[in-house]
Amino acid sequence: MSDMPLIQPGQSPSFRILLRLKLSILRNRLRQLTDQTPLQLLMVLAFLAVIWLGLFMVFDYVLMFIRRFEKEAIIALPYVFHIFFFSMTLLLAISTAVLVYGGLFAREEPTFLLTTPNSPRNIVSIVYLESLFFSSWSLLLLGIPLMLAIGKVQGLPWHFYLTFAVAFLGFIPIPGAIGLVMALAVARFLPHLAKRTLVIVTSGIVLLGIYWWLRAWMTTSQNGLSQEFVRRVLGELAYIKSALLPSAWVSKAIQFSIQDNPLEAAFYLAVTVSTGVFLSWWSTVFVGSKFARAFGSAQSAATQTRRYSGWASAALTRVMFFYLPQRLRGVILKDVRHFLRDPLQWTQLAILFGLLALYLFYLPRTHPYGFEGGFQKVLCFMNFIAITLILSTFTSRFVFPMISLEGKQIWLVGLWPISRREVVWGKFFYALTVTACAALPVTILSINAVEAHGSLGWIQLLLTLASCFGLCGLAIGLGARFPNYKEPNANRISSGLGGTLNLIASVALVALNGVFFGAVCFYSQQAESDGAELTAKIIGLSSLGFLSGVGAGTAAIMVGVRRFRAQEF
Amino acid sequence: MAVQVDNVSKCYGRLRAVDGVSLEVKKGEVFAFLGPNGAGKTTTIKMITGLIQPDSGTVTVCGQQMSTDNQTAKGHLAYVPDQPFLYGKLTAREFMRFVGEMYGIEKDALKRRIEHHMEQLAVTKYADQLAEGYSHGMKQRVVLAAALLHEPDVLVVDEPMVGLDPRTARRVKDIFREWADAGRSVFMSTHTLDVAEAIADRIAIINQGRIVACGTLDELKAKAAREHRLEDIFLDLTNPDGPPEMEEAHITELAPRPTVENSPIETVPDAPPA
Repeated sequence: MSDMPLIQPGQSPSFRILLRLKLSILRNRLRQLTDQTPLQLLMVLAFLAVIWLGLFMVFDYVLMFIRRFEKEAIIALPYVFHIFFFSMTLLLAISTAVLVYGGLFAREEPTFLLTTPNSPRNIVSIVYLESLFFSSWSLLLLGIPLMLAIGKVQGLPWHFYLTFAVAFLGFIPIPGAIGLVMALAVARFLPHLAKRTLVIVTSGIVLLGIYWWLRAWMTTSQNGLSQEFVRRVLGELAYIKSALLPSAWVSKAIQFSIQDNPLEAAFYLAVTVSTGVFLSWWSTVFVGSKFARAFGSAQSAATQTRRYSGWASAALTRVMFFYLPQRLRGVILKDVRHFLRDPLQWTQLAILFGLLALYLFYLPRTHPYGFEGGFQKVLCFMNFIAITLILSTFTSRFVFPMISLEGKQIWLVGLWPISRREVVWGKFFYALTVTACAALPVTILSINAVEAHGSLGWIQLLLTLASCFGLCGLAIGLGARFPNYKEPNANRISSGLGGTLNLIASVALVALNGVFFGAVCFYSQQAESDGAELTAKIIGLSSLGFLSGVGAGTAAIMVGVRRFRAQEF
Repeated sequence: MAVQVDNVSKCYGRLRAVDGVSLEVKKGEVFAFLGPNGAGKTTTIKMITGLIQPDSGTVTVCGQQMSTDNQTAKGHLAYVPDQPFLYGKLTAREFMRFVGEMYGIEKDALKRRIEHHMEQLAVTKYADQLAEGYSHGMKQRVVLAAALLHEPDVLVVDEPMVGLDPRTARRVKDIFREWADAGRSVFMSTHTLDVAEAIADRIAIINQGRIVACGTLDELKAKAAREHRLEDIFLDLTNPDGPPEMEEAHITELAPRPTVENSPIETVPDAPPA
């Protein structure tokens, strides 16, 4: 066998082999999905269809609204594109940088590939392609309904759709290439600060956006959304129309296509696509040439030397879980420390609720003279749905895998000097306290924002608490009922069969509580016009909503406890 | 010379992980690399396999300097890390086919080699299942089988026996011995001193980033003045408190390799074709 031809010394295997590898992985993944979890696949497709339809309706409504004001539409529509593509440039650059960094410097795969005769450029190119694919999902998710809505509202010819699709595909590599170079720079110069760099850059962009928005707001408006404010905002946005920005090229290509000017559209399209192709080529060559060295730097980054005394987490646990017995607090302390030392968990919760808080902070300023009764109730209802939906996302992603994540240490849980029933309830109380601490202040902010003081506010607060109880109960209970102790990855645990069931159950609970609270809002409005505040109907519906949350959570936990007690390790 | 490590140093921040290490691995030898946790074993291996660049010194594999002719040097190597890497959504057979294609092995020959090595390491039974369901030992076997596909001149293995059942562990030891006897080299980092004692032609011990001893087992015993077992010698040399008796006895000259006759390894009847 020794006479078989091997590749020549110094020769790199073809890029096609790596591409074929990735396609095989994708094929096997899809095959596994269709064979083993068709329900999950159907759910994903159904959710995608719902999201697409919802976005299409929103875009359609907004564009129709703008069209009513013909003069403003001429100004606003280009701005819609410029803002959309400019924001996408930032988002795609950052998300590609994160994905590329993970793919090239923080996984086992590059270690394996780098010990083979593969050229660094091939490795960089395949990771770049993969990252582009994953990071551009959001763009496709938003872009397709936007394209269809514009086409429908304006009644546009076929070449508009073609221009839009090609512009999208040609544009994606531009921020992608920037992200690739950013990832290299972090690995080369700040490898031990990779996570911190990401937090600093993202926070910087968010703070800059807030500062800019506040400045426009403060200098122009004391009385809500004025014409002056809109003019000022549009003035501030003028720089994103700069001819040097790729987001401006792609916007112009689409605008010219809308104006039935395919020649001008083709020019900007060509500029966008050629820049995308060139930047992709250059960045993969450049990063490829520096990759081995950067990989070495990332591997050589000083190891974690920070010492944790743990007093702050211990004190926090004592304060937050004062209502639990000492031995259960000991179990919870472990989870608290995991939560605090895993920025992914608390930043996700903070970002989602932070954005919601920002919206609630501005909400009263859009109606300085208060909200009219019916509109106030609609806002109450919408805010309630938004908060509980965010909660369900958090519990499905982070709370559900908690029991499974004990994983290989599950024998340890079995040996703890507390009953298994207490372990499950302990994890539940931990999740309930964290989610309630995040959701209740935002709910109070929401009640203040729409001035829904009085009984309606109290009911909203009570039902939010019941939703926290229900969602945490479902996540912990179903997590114990459908555990996956072999899987160390929380993402994969929550996307398995149990995780999918939990997601469905959580969304169903949000919908059910939404129906009850919606009805409460409706009857509350009716009662208000009759001069009353609380009626039997309102009390009954609120009680049903409260009981459905608490009942669903308790039932799920009971099921989970029964399974967990019978579990053999 | 299969591998030549010449005065290599590597720092991680303020920590000097590897400090002026020099090693030579000859063709046809099994070289065991021992050391306590954090001694610099994995860093040295990463420099030999070209994953990281040394701050100073050079690494040469089969005459190709790693820093200047990286790709050619890697063509002579195969690396089996302590945490075996497999793509979870690929089967063992698909993974091995991919590795073989990367090394440009002709299609029919690749098929034969895959079957041969899978059988040799008892991988065939689960060859068409997705790797995400494999145990550590199963992964280790698949990765080792894949590493042998292109018949590398130097096989670098980090903790090869972890997670293997006794039968497979024995098979792996045999494979290493046969590999070396066929004129190739095995560079093995391990904590399993019995394995090193049984199959290694030469042994190097690294402690706090420095080579504290290097030679055949007999040479190490001779230097220790009495009939120590390798375990005793290792504990003496890497004792963080006591002064190592052999610290000044840095053995560098190469002793003649043991012949197959006096080797502690039994000859296996089903030796793979070279």
